[in-house]
Amino acid sequence: MFNVAVETTVGQVNVQTTCNRGFTSEEIATNAVAKIISISETADPVIKAQAEAFKERMYWVIVAACDQAIKSDRTTLYNLFKSNGHADMAEILRTL
Amino acid sequence: MTIATAMCTSFKKELLEAKHNFLASGGNTFKLALYTSSATLGAATTAYSATNEASGTNYSAGGADLGNVNPTSSGTTGFTDFDDLTFSNATITANGALIYNDTASGDPAVCSLAFGGDKTSTSGDFTIQFPTADASNAIIRIA
Repeated sequence: MFNVAVETTVGQVNVQTTCNRGFTSEEIATNAVAKIISISETADPVIKAQAEAFKERMYWVIVAACDQAIKSDRTTLYNLFKSNGHADMAEILRTL
Repeated sequence: MTIATAMCTSFKKELLEAKHNFLASGGNTFKLALYTSSATLGAATTAYSATNEASGTNYSAGGADLGNVNPTSSGTTGFTDFDDLTFSNATITANGALIYNDTASGDPAVCSLAFGGDKTSTSGDFTIQFPTADASNAIIRIA
């Protein structure tokens, strides 16, 4: 007689909210890094240190990428507003 | 009224009936709906329902589509993940959520998620961040 026991498990989500603003690049980067890399508490200390350093480096790369994406999107929006006759709105966006 | 984090029992049965496909390309469309503290969600939940669903600016009944991530395995555990979901510029209060299959007939439930209290965004972003996709933390795991 054979039987196979299969256990299904659901993970724990994290909910983050903001009030009268969106998320900053730093907040988005923190979430992204947490999603990309998980370091075991029981990992070898040398490997753990390397992983922590990599995680730190990734964080700043993502912050920079987010900042660049925001600037680039604002350039797109600036031109969109301007070409549709909203030069004042475009200027507000440009100076943000 | 309680919302518990649980894998829906009906989902476990439906896995054996091949009702759910989590592939990123060609898979089913899974959605996440938000609920107020008046809702009852847990292992006994079988399908999406609009009863006690959250409402607010920039939130539509039924919730929003999730981005599937291809299932994978590590050791003896198979798991899948979703992209983090954000309701942008939203004013919402929610106490929990239900992930369900919007492609399958009857919108069958996958799992219910408890937030541990009311979470509110006011003219801001409401983000559900899924756990690290590994054998110990992923949102849906089969060991």
